[in-house]
Amino acid sequence: MSALLTWLPGLIAGCVTGLLSAFGLGGGTLLLLWLTLFAGVPQQAAQAINLVYFLPVSAGAIPAHARNGYLDGGGILWAAAAGAVAAAAAAWLATWLETELLRTLFGVYLLAMGVLELVGSQKRTDSSDRG
Amino acid sequence: MDLTGQHSAGRRKWAVSGALAGLANGLFGGGGGMILVPLLLRWVRLEEKRAFASSVAIILPLCLVSAAVYWWRGELDWLQALPYLLGGWLGGTLGGKLFRKASPRLLRTLFALFLLYGGIRCLLF
Repeated sequence: MSALLTWLPGLIAGCVTGLLSAFGLGGGTLLLLWLTLFAGVPQQAAQAINLVYFLPVSAGAIPAHARNGYLDGGGILWAAAAGAVAAAAAAWLATWLETELLRTLFGVYLLAMGVLELVGSQKRTDSSDRG
Repeated sequence: MDLTGQHSAGRRKWAVSGALAGLANGLFGGGGGMILVPLLLRWVRLEEKRAFASSVAIILPLCLVSAAVYWWRGELDWLQALPYLLGGWLGGTLGGKLFRKASPRLLRTLFALFLLYGGIRCLLF
């Protein structure tokens, strides 16, 4: 029972953010915020959890996206190949950086993305309002 | 531009978009989709639902590579990660099934506000 209670917040947080991730809504970033701001997990450890968390999320969503005909195999392969090289280098750098510096960089990144996302979602709303 | 030129320009756009997402994914352990989706929408010019779905498919191998590096460097606690993995698999499967019916506009605005809140918390506390 106590094990279930310990796991329950993680299960619920994982499920809600997994649902949003499948919609492409940055659920992984939300989980990262949950882990670092509310669950008290250190920045690098939270980042590692967030990375492995996305594996079952996308494994669950990708077959449905493929069946619905939303995936372009050629372009995705190019993006994944270039992205994998960049990800390996950046991940290696992240494990060497001071936690405080990484957290500050992450904060700046969130603010920039938040502004872009807000502007982008308002633009899309305006254009759809105009029909 | 001839057809070959168009193809290689198209491939370059996909590759640059993927590389930028990879940088964010590796450095911050996530958030690559926040760069990738706008690039796929406005630069690669994919339709909205295709862009969201493609970003999920691209981010998967990036997470695999980044997670392997974090694990190798001793930052990954599997037991702590397990409840999030189970919940994530459940939510991802459900989300994939509901995706065609989803209207992400309001969710995106709420998401943006939460990012701003998170950014301020990271910088100030």
